[in-house]
Amino acid sequence: MNLSVKILGVIVLTGVLFNPIQSKAQNDSNYSSYSEITKKMKALNSANKSITKLESVAKTKGGKDVWVLTIGSGDLKNHPAIAVIGGSKASHVLGTELTLRFAEQLLSTADSDSTKTLLASTTFYVFPQINPDASTQHFANLKYERDGNTTSTDADRDGFFDEDGFEDLDGNNIITMMRVEDKTGDWMPYADDPRVMVKADTDKGEKGSYKMFTEGSDNDKDGKFNEDGAGGVNINQNFSFDFPYFKAGSSENPVSENETRGVLDFLFEEARNTFAVISFGPENNLSSPLKFNRGAASKRVVSGWLSDDINVNEMVSELYNEKTNLGKAPSGDPQEGDLFQWAYYHYGRYSFSTPGWWTPEVNGEDGKARKFSNDHAKHLAWAEVENQDVFTDWTSIQHPDFPNQKVEVGGFKPFTMMTPPAVILDSLAQSHTNFILDIANKKPSVQLINFKSENAGKNLTRISVDVYNEGSFPTASQLGQRNNWVRRVITQIKMDKNMNLISGDVQSFDRSIAADGSVTKTWLIQGSGKVIIRSGSPMTGFSTKEQTIK
Amino acid sequence: MKNFRYTLLTAFVLGLMLTSNPAKAQLTDGVFPAAGTPANPKVEATWNHYYNYQGISELTERIAKAYPDLAKRTSIGKSYEGKDIWMLTVSNFKNGNPDRKPAIYIDGNIHSNEIQGTEMAMYTAWYLTESFGDVKFITELLNDKTFYIVPTINPDAREHYMTQPNTGSSPRSGLKPIDDDGDGLVDEDQPDDLDGNGSITQMRRKNPRGNYRVHPTYPNMMVRVPDDEFGDYELLGSEGIDNDNDGRINEDRVGYYDPNRDWGWNWQPNHIQGGAHKYPFSLPETRSVMDFVMKRPNIAAAQSYHNSGGMILRGPGVAEDISTYNRQDVRVYDAIGEMGERLIPGYRYLVVYDDLYDVFGGELDWFYGVRGVFTYSNELWTSYEMFQSNDRNATDSYEFNKHLLFGDAMVEWKSYNHPQYGEIEIGGFEKNFGRAHPGFLLEQGAHRNMAFTIYHAYHTPKLTIDEVSEKNLGGGLREITAVVTNSRLMPTHASIDVNNNIMPPDIISLEGATVEAGMIVNNRDLNQTTEQKNRPARIEVANIPGMSSVTVRWIVSGGSNYTVKVDSQKGGIVSKKK
Repeated sequence: MNLSVKILGVIVLTGVLFNPIQSKAQNDSNYSSYSEITKKMKALNSANKSITKLESVAKTKGGKDVWVLTIGSGDLKNHPAIAVIGGSKASHVLGTELTLRFAEQLLSTADSDSTKTLLASTTFYVFPQINPDASTQHFANLKYERDGNTTSTDADRDGFFDEDGFEDLDGNNIITMMRVEDKTGDWMPYADDPRVMVKADTDKGEKGSYKMFTEGSDNDKDGKFNEDGAGGVNINQNFSFDFPYFKAGSSENPVSENETRGVLDFLFEEARNTFAVISFGPENNLSSPLKFNRGAASKRVVSGWLSDDINVNEMVSELYNEKTNLGKAPSGDPQEGDLFQWAYYHYGRYSFSTPGWWTPEVNGEDGKARKFSNDHAKHLAWAEVENQDVFTDWTSIQHPDFPNQKVEVGGFKPFTMMTPPAVILDSLAQSHTNFILDIANKKPSVQLINFKSENAGKNLTRISVDVYNEGSFPTASQLGQRNNWVRRVITQIKMDKNMNLISGDVQSFDRSIAADGSVTKTWLIQGSGKVIIRSGSPMTGFSTKEQTIK
Repeated sequence: MKNFRYTLLTAFVLGLMLTSNPAKAQLTDGVFPAAGTPANPKVEATWNHYYNYQGISELTERIAKAYPDLAKRTSIGKSYEGKDIWMLTVSNFKNGNPDRKPAIYIDGNIHSNEIQGTEMAMYTAWYLTESFGDVKFITELLNDKTFYIVPTINPDAREHYMTQPNTGSSPRSGLKPIDDDGDGLVDEDQPDDLDGNGSITQMRRKNPRGNYRVHPTYPNMMVRVPDDEFGDYELLGSEGIDNDNDGRINEDRVGYYDPNRDWGWNWQPNHIQGGAHKYPFSLPETRSVMDFVMKRPNIAAAQSYHNSGGMILRGPGVAEDISTYNRQDVRVYDAIGEMGERLIPGYRYLVVYDDLYDVFGGELDWFYGVRGVFTYSNELWTSYEMFQSNDRNATDSYEFNKHLLFGDAMVEWKSYNHPQYGEIEIGGFEKNFGRAHPGFLLEQGAHRNMAFTIYHAYHTPKLTIDEVSEKNLGGGLREITAVVTNSRLMPTHASIDVNNNIMPPDIISLEGATVEAGMIVNNRDLNQTTEQKNRPARIEVANIPGMSSVTVRWIVSGGSNYTVKVDSQKGGIVSKKK
């Protein structure tokens, strides 16, 4: 008896020791929930009271706050600023995590001289999660990729609201897909990996044999499955550029939600000094820059980046690839009504976006990257090599809506395609932090240099100064220059009362000064006394030059 | 003696009876009615002057108090400065829920200087309530329809226009302070009322090298000289000085933004559309209107008053939006718009992007694009109205001012010592002339425009259940066929509505019978039907076009006391019991 128990004990112990602590399933504890984000933001704020400010820009219908952490010192609203925004696509929890960790990593160096210098001339507005009501689904008992907030919508426009949501038919607490055997269906298993379902190409003589649905029943018996669930307006579809009217996930009007309006009001009124918006989401103009499209850029309703701005995109894209080394990315197309396009076309600032991570290359036996013609198959191959549990195998169930047909539930687990294994989060965040700081070091910055003063006649002095942009970004984007919310560079001169301005502007504006570019200002002054010249804009900072004229 | 008094009394009463006719004209308190005007209104109101915010608040309150069964006053929101945006809901509340009747929405004064739309809107509320019960057409109109009347949607800046120095074209904007020129100061260089008369007029300066001279007949009028001559004067622009010493005059006035570029259909930022603010509905006033309209799917028609120019405008606001307005809808617009030209002589029915100028994010387009509402904007007042003639001369305003207004609209040129320009003269038309109606023409303008909106409201859908017939099919089954007719011009769903399911379909339901099957009858004679499998007792009809019918049919197996009910967002509710 004793020996058996001992042997049993050893076997059990061994089992415990050799079981990996991290199971094959995703470890969600590395992605911050709403309450964890709130806690962390408050902690960052209290630990760094002199250089941070925490505000809630909106209260969601679900009662959650949309947080923004302002990081900077001195006259921070008049220093060039970068807005870092995550979670506009709510199911993209990686984006939220990268944004949050950017703030944490930056502030962890707050005592260093270099960070102190940086924050004295650069401001950061950090919004980790702008659709918290929907992001919460990642942490709920029943997990699915939810992008719609708590505003009820009639997604299928049939006059009823939220009448047909998902059901967890196989009881595994995640929503995947269903495939139904049906000759009239368009789908078929992928030849190289039959777990993956692809559309049959009838041009090649292929025939579909399955219909595909998301997991659930047709609650309202209208022939569509799960087409109108709880909620929700997709915040990343709620912005004013190219707003998709009448589509699922859209509200009736653009910028309708508390979340969107809160963020926009802050960016327009409080954060006027923002020169670039860096957001994490499905769109990607960092792995490769956008391409110039002359037609789109010359239309009255501009829908393509202007050429000077494309040049800046190219510069920034190179920096991104240097710092993050993520390689070639799958196409990251802009989405109608998204934050990424709004920031460029309507807010008039530089806009950069990346998903932050995608399926890495899988090497073949020859050590070279294998070629895949299907992203899902590539992901499964990668998952196998990395021992990641990303797929639920197709399993038969009895489905009341298909009484006489074979129905199987299975497919990719939610979030897996865009959420990396937790073990790489730290370094992934660090490389993105380094990238953002790189951008910050290139910020537009106006300096008054080469001040000259010469005697121009009896009691007359001619003074000149160069308004120089020492940054690698122009003081305003080529499109932004046209917009009233984007401040021009102002140059003002003040003189003592007894002095007279004979020639020159008491106040002048420049729409934009190129990177490493300058504009010369001159004045002809009668008399002697003190002269103060001030030049700049909230997006470039201000530079002042005082001079006494004798 | 008793007999004599009795006879006298009888004669008196008889006399009274002969001279009085309660249904028609009556001699009461010194008033004899003119045709088409409420003779003895409960609410006394004059229509030859304008109302400020206090006046609007008082008048709307008096109307609601005098007619509690016909008018209700509510606030649909607050302006930037916290003023209530008043609305009068006018309908016969005793004949159905007003929020379920086909309705027209009317507002005025979105541009703060375009003031008379407010009077036109209030005149409408006053006239409807005063005429209900006396005029059969108006009585039926208020039984069937609802009027949502919002006299002003820019009350803050309306006050500014009236109490602060302005031209006829300012401030247009609202009063939210904005640093227009980016110099760090807000609204620091506004026009200045240098001569203190309440209007911002013009400045001129004697200049032998100028290109203007005085008109021979009208000394206030400046005429441009031919290209090869010098005149006596130069024009310096609107009254003002360089308040902030930055080398420019009047460059940062109140606002500036244009509330009619703040609407959420085809909205564009200010570098594409001048006057746009941050994003659609970023202004509290427009947001209040939008919130209200979203809650009233029964609004089928709308009017938003502007000035000036004598136009009846419809969208699209920009060429990029042509495909939104399809042919059927344009026909409805044309029919009503052309009637407007008849009712308001001198006004032309026009299309914004084609005949006026481009407007992105305008109210007109939002009402149609997002809510499928047939909407017009009338630009009130045209110089045609001065002499009721299409022959126009540059001197018309001056002649009109001289002989019909006796000089009241004009400030004579007077000298002034200007800090930047030196010796100048200030003069010109007062702010209440040129775009605003003169007093004696205001009531006429109000009545004619009201008549147009009444015609517009009249043609919102009117649904009737024309026919309910029964046929025995044998085997316990009966066939019930119902025909629903829309006897007005407007469809229950505009084409953009049908294409995008903006509103739910019209529901024609059968209650009180056991329904086995339901279908829409596409062609009754040829028996072509389309079955509705799901919820057959409740047939969904995508649209009932203007001046046409739809036919539906049920197969029932029981129930003899049934009711056919029609529930349409824009057509209202109507039912017919067997």
